[in-house]
Amino acid sequence: MNNKYKILVIEDDVNIRTLVSTMLEANGYQAILAETCSAARIMYDSYVPDLIILDLGLPDADGMELLKYVRCASLTPIIVLSARTDERDKVLALDLGANDYVTKPFGEGELLARVRASLRNSRHSSDEGRLPGGRFSLGDLIIDYDARRVFLCDSEIKLTQTEYNILAYLSEHCGKMLTYSAIIKAVWGGHTEEGSIKKLQVNMANIRKKLGIKPGEAKYIINELGVGYRMDG
Amino acid sequence: MKKKTVFKDIAITAAILASAFFISVAFQNVFGVDEHISTLFAFSVFLISLITKGYVYGIAAAFLSTLAINYAFAFPYFAFNFTIPVNLISAVIMVTIALLTSALTTKVKHHEAIKAESARERMRANLLRAVSHDIRTPLTTIYGSASALLEHEDTLTEAQKSKMLEGIKQDSDWLVRMVENLLSVTRIDSGNVKIQKTPIAIDELIDSLLLKFKKRYPDQKVEVDLPDEIIIVPMDAILIEQVLMNLLENSVLHAEGFDKLELRVFKNGSGTVFETEDNGKGIPEDKMQRLFDGYYGHGESLADSKKKNAGIGLAVCSAIIKAHGGEITAENTGHGVRFRFILE
Repeated sequence: MNNKYKILVIEDDVNIRTLVSTMLEANGYQAILAETCSAARIMYDSYVPDLIILDLGLPDADGMELLKYVRCASLTPIIVLSARTDERDKVLALDLGANDYVTKPFGEGELLARVRASLRNSRHSSDEGRLPGGRFSLGDLIIDYDARRVFLCDSEIKLTQTEYNILAYLSEHCGKMLTYSAIIKAVWGGHTEEGSIKKLQVNMANIRKKLGIKPGEAKYIINELGVGYRMDG
Repeated sequence: MKKKTVFKDIAITAAILASAFFISVAFQNVFGVDEHISTLFAFSVFLISLITKGYVYGIAAAFLSTLAINYAFAFPYFAFNFTIPVNLISAVIMVTIALLTSALTTKVKHHEAIKAESARERMRANLLRAVSHDIRTPLTTIYGSASALLEHEDTLTEAQKSKMLEGIKQDSDWLVRMVENLLSVTRIDSGNVKIQKTPIAIDELIDSLLLKFKKRYPDQKVEVDLPDEIIIVPMDAILIEQVLMNLLENSVLHAEGFDKLELRVFKNGSGTVFETEDNGKGIPEDKMQRLFDGYYGHGESLADSKKKNAGIGLAVCSAIIKAHGGEITAENTGHGVRFRFILE
């Protein structure tokens, strides 16, 4: 019987490939390995993995190409491995449909946390984690989608319309890194400009304050500077 | 940006010429004298050449001045007459003034640019020297430990193995930090382009910083004092985060006998002030002078390689803050060190 999660690892550097597959297998996942973009397409089509870990710099094509290829067909979570520290690459990968990214160098804890969060997120879409009656719960946080109300430790948190919309949107994509422009489009509609990012940041600061999240705590909402936000335990 | 300076230069030229003209008119009407008029226009040509960029404005001003004198202040009044030789001579003189002054100021500006470039070059050279000097120690640990672990897998005790692995991890951490600093420097330097500033909420910056700091130093508490209001400051967040990380890290690694580490952000007029403070032994006064030059710690025989990167971290801080148009300062408080910088 084999009911392990299948994870497709696409990375051209042999040492990093070995490292990632060792980390995954030691933690009970099944790793499928690919070196190139073209090999990865074949592996993806024949194995139908539960999650993809993708390096952006591949020898035969840019990893972004594979990202587009997979996103045409499915919502399989994709975690991007990147040596690039430039936020623009991260934002581009996320806007093309990547769920999250891990910057090299990374430790085992960091990678596995992202893997778990992304797998959890993909199960959300099949309605797990959402309680009956359209509710979402994460730790002590409960969102009642029908009544548009938010509770923390059983006491209600008063949010404005906009604040609620942002929080609800994040919770619907729990575990996924959402870029500023994705959130702005979902909440306000329209395009992203400097003013709208500021508006989002101000609302976010108020949400954090109302939820009692102190700087450095990484509770419920994780912020990635200059990129976006992710809801996570 | 360029368009703006052109408009500004045109405005300056027009303003100076207009004032020269009206003062001349006043001289003529009130005092009945006109001997000073050419001098006045010559002076305004000189001023324009000095203030504006390049040669164009100065020369244009010289011609306009000649025409103005000819038209308004030389007989026949309020008509052009190009047969007066004195007028031609003053035209030649004014153009010469414009040319010489512009040449001189252009040269000075060019010289200043070279000076700034060579200061950057010096910093880069210092960093490179410091890095190549310091990088061998952790590499020795990593390379040596890994090969020992591979070759003597059977004979090493578990305790020895885990000690070596711990060493590999620690020194890799050190290398990662060093590379982060170097990346920051290349990010400032890349192609002389000004850094990319985006609006960043201060509490998000501090949130991200504290998470990273906690990961590196799980046992080190930081007392944080942030304002209640939401402050959004344009900055390159990756670089400013690096500055704050280096400053906190500097205290952890170098402040002897400290037990309190503070981080403060507050508004001061239009600027936002960032401060880190420890209550360690302080920095010796003779070291203060060159603290941000990238020299600190060199020429000293510190056995522990991790103590050597002090100078590099602070030099990177200084470069980043300078690129943001500010300045970083260090000060002994009598019971520790306080670093401070301000972003507009």
